Amino acid sequence: MTRRPGEASCSLPAAAFAGALAALPGVGPATLHGLLSQAGPIEVWDGVRRGEIVRPPGRGVLPSEVAGRRVGWADAAAQMPLQAWWEAWCRRGIEITWLGDGRFPDRLRCDPEPPGVLFWRGCLDRLSGRCVAVVGTRRCSPDGRASAYDLGRDLANAGVCVVSGLALGIDGAAHLGALDAKLPALGAGATVGVAASGVDVAYPASHAALWERVVAAGAVISETPPGRPAQAWRFPSRNRVIAGLVDMVVVVESHASGGSLITADKALDRGIEVRVVPGGVHAPSTAGSNQLLYDGPGPVRDATDVLDALGMVARRPRRIGRRRPPGVGRTEQPRLHPEARQPRLQPDGVDPGPSSTPAATTQAAGAVLEAVGWRPTSINRIVDRSGQTVGAVGRILEGLRDAGAVEEDNGWWWRSRVGDVRDPQ
Amino acid sequence: MFAVVPSSTLVGVDGLTVRVEVHVTTGLPQFSIVGLPDASCREAKDRVRAAFSSSGLAWPQKRITVNLAPTGQRKVGSGLDLAIAVATLVAAGQLPVEAVRGCGFVGELGLDGSVRRVDGTLALVAALDVEAVVVGCDAASEAALVPNRQVLPAATLRQVVSALRGEEGWSPVPPPAPPSARRVDGDLADVRGQPLGRLAVEVAAAGGHHLLLVGPPGAGKTMLARRLPDLLPALSVEDALDVTRIHSAAGLRLPEGVMVRRPPFRAPHHTASSVSLVGGGTAQMRPGEISCAHRGVLFLDELGEFAADVLDTLRQPLEEGRVLVCRARGSVAFPARFLLVAATNPCPCGGDGSPGGCRCSDVARARYGTRLSGPLLDRFDLRVGIERPDVSDLMAQMGSCPAGESSAEVAARVTSARERAFERGVLGNAEIPGSRLDAVAPLTASARRLLELRLRQGKLSARGLHRVRRVAQTLADLRGPSGPVDDEAVHGALLLRVEPFAPAAVTS
Repeated sequence: MTRRPGEASCSLPAAAFAGALAALPGVGPATLHGLLSQAGPIEVWDGVRRGEIVRPPGRGVLPSEVAGRRVGWADAAAQMPLQAWWEAWCRRGIEITWLGDGRFPDRLRCDPEPPGVLFWRGCLDRLSGRCVAVVGTRRCSPDGRASAYDLGRDLANAGVCVVSGLALGIDGAAHLGALDAKLPALGAGATVGVAASGVDVAYPASHAALWERVVAAGAVISETPPGRPAQAWRFPSRNRVIAGLVDMVVVVESHASGGSLITADKALDRGIEVRVVPGGVHAPSTAGSNQLLYDGPGPVRDATDVLDALGMVARRPRRIGRRRPPGVGRTEQPRLHPEARQPRLQPDGVDPGPSSTPAATTQAAGAVLEAVGWRPTSINRIVDRSGQTVGAVGRILEGLRDAGAVEEDNGWWWRSRVGDVRDPQ
Repeated sequence: MFAVVPSSTLVGVDGLTVRVEVHVTTGLPQFSIVGLPDASCREAKDRVRAAFSSSGLAWPQKRITVNLAPTGQRKVGSGLDLAIAVATLVAAGQLPVEAVRGCGFVGELGLDGSVRRVDGTLALVAALDVEAVVVGCDAASEAALVPNRQVLPAATLRQVVSALRGEEGWSPVPPPAPPSARRVDGDLADVRGQPLGRLAVEVAAAGGHHLLLVGPPGAGKTMLARRLPDLLPALSVEDALDVTRIHSAAGLRLPEGVMVRRPPFRAPHHTASSVSLVGGGTAQMRPGEISCAHRGVLFLDELGEFAADVLDTLRQPLEEGRVLVCRARGSVAFPARFLLVAATNPCPCGGDGSPGGCRCSDVARARYGTRLSGPLLDRFDLRVGIERPDVSDLMAQMGSCPAGESSAEVAARVTSARERAFERGVLGNAEIPGSRLDAVAPLTASARRLLELRLRQGKLSARGLHRVRRVAQTLADLRGPSGPVDDEAVHGALLLRVEPFAPAAVTS
């Protein structure tokens, strides 16, 4: 292909043409990569306009009516209001980079399936440091949500950029955790969200506020041209970008066939380390992640384990197993916030009922707390296990909740941990 | 040449007196029935003629006209057969007029001349303002439930004629059968664990509170609901007569002792139409399932699978205890004071609904919840989560765990709680009007503080407040005679009223 710069219609920068190429019909990451690995976006665009570069035939034989509707690239390109698009993108703070551009993330440059063009809002600098992906299911348990939040916050506190997918559940909790980190120099922790929809189309819509916070603290990245909603095939594709951007993928919770397993697969394909937060063996929301754990990748419990695996110096000495005196069982692991990890309940923190003695109340409260456990538990089971009457259980749970020892969601109760994420909306 | 005999026809679940007038005159032999008979009533013509010849009676070769008065009201069914036959005999001069004076006739004729019971006999006999009523032998014990009526049973038309002529006696009325024993549908002792479910069933029975059981398949929702009728006290004589009348009119099989003494249990499938639930119909106004469950339990399993418009037809009967079914031809009121028990899954996937324990997306859960209208959900005082027994809990209980309380023990507590409610002037605490709550169901100071806190937190609405207070009163009544309702009862009532379909997974 010969270079004819005069053909590009006006004085737009190359980024505008890169964005326009991504918006051509039937263009996916592989096609874009193929086009842009040969020439710059301006040359490719000129080729497309002149009909020298044509839309490749689809795989297989298309039905005639579908084939008739196929729009050629030259026609599509002729109809694109490039100037207006470019102005709109600039106005919304949307930036574009492409394979071969100086700002293209280094890690993706040598990726086996690199994106051809990336749109982003925010700042990509954070991606050049240490990055860890914290991913998991949208339908998570409170445990998983707490783990993701803790990981996000503690990793960000350690200066690691937390990458995730901006989805409900684990992804959102990881972003929130990173946003809640307090770094002396930088303020909020670094976090980058990789979206399957356009960077200006918040999906899910309830996360619109979270998107803006992530843009402010890092960046929201997408391969999808701005203004377009996410199509189903974009999600696995997005997961591959997440895997390509990070040093390690941490899967917090995943159902048996969850999208985060795709992220883990893609990471393993690329030789990127995958770690899994172990979950209970009965909950459906941890079936996939536990299977993954069983298949090989090692477990991590918290950010300290992740930092260790990354070879970063954790901020506290780790207890080594052989220091344990013989005959003594496992002692409590030191945590990032040892004092905060203790349940805040002290039995005497319970509001004593009017009719019972303090000692009896304490004993009953202990029985109820024991019955609640760490996983979401129904009232039915709490009453069954504690042996108290329903009314007494109600009163005790009320006291325990006020003391911060248990939490409730829609009739399900569990013992609370520090850093549990509450609904910000 | 003219005769009139009283009989009756069914309108809804009540009887309506019908004057059967027969006119026999000279002319071409003809037999016609006028006065708005329906199809089955018009067929009486053929049955009566055949019964005459089978019984060895001479059919008058004259012009016979039968009129059913009041002529504006549609007559349904075959219960007028016997009256038409007797009136024809009198009009033709084969029976003296004096023989039928003071007698009503209710029964269907077979082609062989036999006299048979018709559905709704109890209501039909009660509607007749006469001294004696002639019925088929199989309807005698049912007709005998009506006070102040002499029942004259007869097996055949032949026997009716000879008994009226004084040549032969009437068949004896069978002695009233002993009341049927407590239904053995399964005992509450069979239910392992499920303390909340057991309590909810007990409270529902004691206070007449409508109950919604929410839980995954196999949790035991149906098992619990089926044991509820056994906890209810036996029907009073008045109620028993009402219920028997409805069941008889609806064509349900009556129990051995004829009188329905146990609260009925009706469990229509979720494909039920709204007419089948509330009553109605084109040819004849029939009582629906809610009337068949009058003074008993209406159990709607898989509540979410019922058509939404069908469920919403329940709202008015739930409030008023009766349903007025109106059609162009007229309206009929059916009694429908029932205890509504419903069961539903928490979500479409069949999980237990716990956070992280379900495979449904939030959207799918929310859509499942919207199948039940808010106003209907609001009618349930008790909304309780039931779950599959935990495997380890189940194994721990096997063998070692004593069986739970039996139905009889719980029923005794229910009865005494009902007595306390009766002292307040209601049959169950669910019926206490909101305006009288402070007077008859006072609260302790701590209970008042707790409710105030819940109101301030926005977790309780004004209507919900009343419902929680009624349930708390029932809980207090079940504990025994007590003063004002304390905070423990209120705590219990609050735990028995969860939001079943709030999305469990909180969005971050």
